[in-house]
Amino acid sequence: MASANMKDIKRRIKSVKSTMQITKAMELVASSKLRKARDKADSAKLFFDALYDTMWEITDENDTFKSIYFSGRQVKTVMFVVIAGDRGLAGGYNANVLKLAQQKIDQTAKEYEVVVIPIGKKAVEYFTKRGYKVVAKYENIAENIRMNSAKEIGSKIMAAFKNGNTDRVELIYTDYVSPLVQLAKHKSIIPLEKPEEKVAKKLHTSYEPAPEALFELIMPQYIAGVLYGSIADSFASEQAARRIAMENASDNATEMIDELSLLYNRARQSTITQEITEIVGGANVQE
Amino acid sequence: MASFNLQIITPDKIFFDGQAERLIVRTTEGDMGILAKHENFVGALPSGAVKIMTDGNYKVAAISSGVVKVSENKTTIIAEAIEWADEIDIDWANRSADEAREKINAAESNKEIAYAELKLQRALNRISVHTSNKK
Repeated sequence: MASANMKDIKRRIKSVKSTMQITKAMELVASSKLRKARDKADSAKLFFDALYDTMWEITDENDTFKSIYFSGRQVKTVMFVVIAGDRGLAGGYNANVLKLAQQKIDQTAKEYEVVVIPIGKKAVEYFTKRGYKVVAKYENIAENIRMNSAKEIGSKIMAAFKNGNTDRVELIYTDYVSPLVQLAKHKSIIPLEKPEEKVAKKLHTSYEPAPEALFELIMPQYIAGVLYGSIADSFASEQAARRIAMENASDNATEMIDELSLLYNRARQSTITQEITEIVGGANVQE
Repeated sequence: MASFNLQIITPDKIFFDGQAERLIVRTTEGDMGILAKHENFVGALPSGAVKIMTDGNYKVAAISSGVVKVSENKTTIIAEAIEWADEIDIDWANRSADEAREKINAAESNKEIAYAELKLQRALNRISVHTSNKK
């Protein structure tokens, strides 16, 4: 009986060990991808900030500045752009961002019509399964996000806004705060909201073409910049979340192996003890 | 020659950060040169060439759409993509131009055509900047 028990334990140790090999490997892959993704997100931020400042400087220059991208339109349809991962096994990463998206959508759906652009396989699955109106979907673009793909998504959003299919655009993504903290966040893309804290400093700048036309030209880049930055940020968050999840899994596996080895040794010892007792018992009888 | 601070930012990296004596760009309104102490200015850049003079020598780069901004003697170019003319892989650019042409011919929707045309434009810009730099 004891030896059957021993075999069982041995089998379990082996299976935990092989799982641990996988989680360890995934942890390593995630941390190397994380480093790359963070560099990308950092430089994207520089680019985006420069663009963002320029844009607001243009609007600050004259008080009569007008653009269709500012609020003041009757809202009927709201578009949600939701960025989640392409893969699972990343701790709460996908669940958190989708939960926030669902929450915001439920609030909005009471008053307005909702359409969705999911980015990432998990988001696509989630929204198509629940029967939402998906106007466009993008999978497997996050890891090697290029400005071109961001622009394509951006042009889709802007076209929908221009021809009146959408009156408001909201973005749900995950903000990379630190290797240990990633927060699902919500951000309005259109209409544009003027940053409050900016004190308008008149720089007396000349514009070519005129500010309004220039603004129209910069707008696609701005939107693409927002998307690019958010996708890069989300991907870094995904890797960080996966790294932590896999680290925990590996730690748990180590602990389990320790416990099982203890059990195994105990079982082995008790078999030996029993054998000795039997031999001694047998010898005693012969005397 | 007086110089000014020039920074060229792309989504991937800071492409250029330093002093320049002269900058020539082609905005949507036409060519313009920027020297030190230029007035504050913002302009849109379609794809084209950017010439930067440092230490009396011009360096040429191919840019694909961006914004140029001069603000208090500091110039910033925010570019979607930019590369030095002498670093352009001309074979690759030619190949990608051919691919884009094929795609335009085979395209079934306007969207596909528009996308392929953009690709072709970028490739042709690279080729033209590269060849004009060679001369």
